[in-house]
Formats: sequence, structure tokens, C-alpha cells
Amino acid sequence: MNMNRRRFLTVGAIGAAAGVLPLSALSNVGAAATKRSWSAAFKDALEQRPWLAGYKSVASDSFQGRAEIRGRWPADLKGTLFRNGPARHEIGNFRYQHWFDGDGMLHGYRMSEEGVTHSAQMIQTHKYKAERAADRALYPGFGTIPPNPSAVTSADTMNSGNISVLPHHGKLLALWEAGSPWEMDADTLDTKGIYRFSEKTAGVPFSAHPRVEPDGTLWNFGYVSGANLIVLWHLDKNGRVIKMGKVASDPISMPHDFIVTAKHIVLMMPPLNYQRRESSFLDSHDWQPELPTRVLVVDKNDFSNFHWLELPSQWVFHFGNGWEDHSGVIRFDGAREPSPVNMLTNFRDVMRGDLVGLSPSHHHQYRIDTKTWRAEEERIFAPNIYTEFPVIDPRVSCRQNKRLIMMSADDQSLPIHGNLNRTSTFDIESGKFSSYRYDDSQIPEEHLFVPKSGSAVETAGWIVGTAHDWKRQLTVLNVFNVDAVDAGPIATATLPYSMPLGLHGKFVASA
Amino acid sequence: MKKSMFTLIISITMAFPVAAETLTVVIKNVESANGYIMLVILASEQEFDGDIEAIASMKQRSLAGDNTFTVGNLPEGDYGFRIMHDKNSNGELDSNFVGMPTEPWGFSNNATGTMGPPVWSDVKFSLSGKATQIITLN
Repeated sequence: MNMNRRRFLTVGAIGAAAGVLPLSALSNVGAAATKRSWSAAFKDALEQRPWLAGYKSVASDSFQGRAEIRGRWPADLKGTLFRNGPARHEIGNFRYQHWFDGDGMLHGYRMSEEGVTHSAQMIQTHKYKAERAADRALYPGFGTIPPNPSAVTSADTMNSGNISVLPHHGKLLALWEAGSPWEMDADTLDTKGIYRFSEKTAGVPFSAHPRVEPDGTLWNFGYVSGANLIVLWHLDKNGRVIKMGKVASDPISMPHDFIVTAKHIVLMMPPLNYQRRESSFLDSHDWQPELPTRVLVVDKNDFSNFHWLELPSQWVFHFGNGWEDHSGVIRFDGAREPSPVNMLTNFRDVMRGDLVGLSPSHHHQYRIDTKTWRAEEERIFAPNIYTEFPVIDPRVSCRQNKRLIMMSADDQSLPIHGNLNRTSTFDIESGKFSSYRYDDSQIPEEHLFVPKSGSAVETAGWIVGTAHDWKRQLTVLNVFNVDAVDAGPIATATLPYSMPLGLHGKFVASA
Repeated sequence: MKKSMFTLIISITMAFPVAAETLTVVIKNVESANGYIMLVILASEQEFDGDIEAIASMKQRSLAGDNTFTVGNLPEGDYGFRIMHDKNSNGELDSNFVGMPTEPWGFSNNATGTMGPPVWSDVKFSLSGKATQIITLN
């Protein structure tokens, strides 16, 4: 037998993404609660600020509804918009203290000749099932440690599966970022179980933002905080592992997204640095603005060939796309914040109803010269334009894109609810920026570009996205003509209920 | 649910007083009858660290459900043990690309670390007379 502690020690030294939690009652719930529980505080705040309804805990673990359509739904827009996001924010009287904590819920908005229908199911993670059975929060989330927490022996113990979805090689996966994906049934939205691409990669962290090239080749990263390791994934279009990579990073951050070009992987590591301590995962990180944002650039063909570059300290959640020209210059775009204040503060405050408004992020163009190994950045729009959730035509992923679709806001017309309130298009060549401003009664979520079937890349198609109508307590799904987003939705499908605000989705066209 | 009692008499060739302590380890709810359950008895922190060989190790074919080991004739003293379910019978605790175990494992006192193995002080227990530990694998 060959099981010795030294070998097992590699596991301990690695100690996956959430460096948290001896069995002591190190709950952070008590400290911040002051006089009232967060659940009570949020309930009170809802009466003063009803637009916080999108942050209510989901009312049930399963939904099914038919949407009422106003306008003419495009006959050739057929398929399913799958979406994911934190939905169960409360268990009993306990309310999570960070928006990212809630257990994931998978949604399918199906568009067919019969109209638009919606269904949703809570993702049956280990955590969700155990907590349902115990009728209390057992495991730490991203930013909250509940009272009397149970031991976390691996990242997947606390995996909430709550960030995004990936349709790939005939499967539908729900993605977290610090552990495994979950395999879902695309028709029933049932949870099949934890997904492993191979035996050797079981449990290896898989981010919520894999990049899929037009031929289906998939690239992804993961981070293992306790081991100061970045993991790189290279899968073929059938989901087979071609190769894996490891890059040491000291200090180590919690990157959320990255970009891939024809030749390189680019991963930004902002100075939000992990320190192993007895705190929630989020609180185990220090923002160190005196340090630069490091940028890891890796050769796709040889993961041992990489460079570290530097940019001024900044935080970027999401990148639209990256590409590389023949002279080896990489260009990519991202929604940049000077610091992760939204994640550190605003997405906490909102859970007790204290959110006034999200802090601005400004879209930047980045440039890396792979001959001189220098990185540069430049703000793209005027300072009054805020952006987030940039997306592109999936058919030009990792290649030069001529257009960007994103959510935005204009500080001359900010909404009462403090979230971004516009869906926008940006034509990179002409510089034309168009947007549609949602009424203050609706908080829009990520909007995607759905190409018109058979069209040339980046030409005809639709922008499709949901919004939470807090006045009517309903969720709507809108479709816009990509060439005329400012004209507003060409059709709107209104659900008979509202869903909590979520995160990311993907559209899968009908066969 | 069938229970298998597998008793192993360990001969301890040390100059200790008469050894008469018995340890029973019940591993609950083993998910499958694939491979072997392996139990390693540790009599010191050095054995726990792998610096010297463990005092005893046993293996038996896995059963679905409860798996019981009885270890007799141990001298009174401090011990720990670790368990693995070697589902594919390759003699190793399989691990993934970043070193995390992909087969079930456990320790005495149901000790776990924080995202990794526990420390000796969590695993250690005093054996005197008859003792039973009920373990759930991770």
C-alpha cells in the first residue's frame, strides 16, 4: 500500500480555493448583524426601496410558466436561453451576507413555434441537498460563514454551481469557478451530478468563463488559492482533455474571467491577494492597490512558456473578447474598475438592503505586444459611460471582433435602482455606440447576441436578455434587432412571476 | 447488510507490558463493493508523517455499507489511523491533477483538515481497553 502522509500532504499544501474554516463556530453572521438580522434588515429595506426585490431569495425551488408575448417574436429566433445565478439567498431566518453566496438556479427560456416558456430548477448540489435536509445553512459561502459550520473537506463540498452555463460536446454544464462543473439535463433542468472531464481532472477548479473557439476547442483556467496555483485547461470540441497546465502564482488572486487569442492565453491577476486565515473566502483576500495588476500571458501550444507583465492596479470582472494580429499584438477589452469595491462592499451591502448604487466600471482596450512583452491600456468611451457584461458574436470568439454588445449606464441618466440600465452595441470600426435605456422599473440582466442562422459573422441577429420588473414583480425577456438596439425591444415575453437577479447565460439554437 | 469481521492479531515485538487493547473501526456507508478498504494504524507522529513505517496496516475487500476492522493485541497508548477506499485496487489513494484525493478517505476521530489532511493532534486518541470508532469517509 502506498498511502503516506507526505503524498497526502500535497493535498493539504494545496488546500483548494476556499481556505476557510476549522470546526469552531467562526461564523461572521453575528458580528455584522448588530441589532437586527440581515434577513430582517433586508425585509425592512424592501419597503423603502422596492427595487431591491431582485435580491430576494427565490420563493420556490422549481418554476414553470408560459410567457405572454407583446410584439412579434422573430420566427427564426428559436432555441433556449439558459441562465444561472445565485437564487437561494436565505435558509430559514438566515440570510447570506454576499450576493455571490446564494445557491444556483438554472433557467431555460424556450422559444419555439408555441411561443416562449420558462422553467427553472435549483441546482441540486451536495451543499443544497444537505442544507435542505438539515433546514439550515451548513457550509460557508463565498462571503458568509453561517453559525456552527460543517467541515469543508474539498471545494466541491461548498460548490454552489451558481455563476454560468456551458453547452459543450452535447452536454449542459452549470459552472461555479472554484470547483467542478455540474452536469444538467437540458430538457428537465434536473441535476445529473458533479461533472468530471477525466479522472485526473476530477475536482480541479474550472472557471465560469471558458473560452470556446469557433471549432469548439475549449480553454479555461482555475485557481487553487492555498497552493498558489493557476491551472490551465485545453479541451477538444468533444470535451476530451488535450493537456493541462500549472503556473505558480505568489501572491494569488481570484481571477474571474480571461481571454484567449489564436496563440495566447491572457489572465489578469489583480492585487486582491489571498492570505490563508480563518475567515470567509472573500475576507481571506486583501486589496493591495500599491501592487500592480499582474498579467499572465501563456503560449497555448506550450503551457510552460509564459510571461508575467504588469498594468496599473485595477479590477476587471469581465472581458469581451481577445484576438491577436499577425505582428503578435494582442488586443482585448474589459470592464475596468479602479478597485473591486463592488465585490468587497456593494454586493455585501445589498444583502441587508443598503445598496445605493454600483460603483462605475469603464470599458478599456488593452494591448499586449508579444515581441516586447509590454502591456498598455486605454479607456474606450467617455467617462460618463459605465459598462459591464461585454459579449460578442460567439462565432468570432478568440478572433478579431468588429462589434461589442454590453450592458451600460450613462451617469447623466442613472436609474433609481443603482444598477446598469442600458443594453448597448459598439461598432469598433466606426466608433458608433447605441443603447436602449430601460425604464427605471426594470433592472436588466446580461444580454446576449444571438446570430441569425446562416448569416455572416457579426452581421444580422438579435440581442436577447432578461430584466427584473420590480414594480410588477415579473421577469421579462426582450429581443432587440442588433442593428437598431436604440429602437427598443421588437418583442417582449413576460413571465407570470419574477426571478431573482442572476448572472450569466448562453443561448442554444434549436437544431 | 452483511457485516464482515476481519480480525488481525498484530504481533508487536517490543519490550512493552502485555498488550491487550482492542480497537474496532466501523466504516459507515461505504458506497460500493469495488476494490479494497485499507486501514493503517499509526503509533506515533512520525508514522503519521510517513517518516517511519506504520505499526500495522490491513486491507479487506470493500462491501457496500458498513465495513468493520478489529485490531487486537495493541499496547495501551496513543494511536491514530487513516483509511482509504482503494476503489480501483491500484494500491494508491488516487488524486487529481492538483493533488486532491479522488477516492474516499478518512482518519481517526473523523478528523479532517481545512481542505486537506488533518494534523496528528486531531487524529490522535488514547487506546485503553476496548475502543470503537465509527468513521465516515470523505
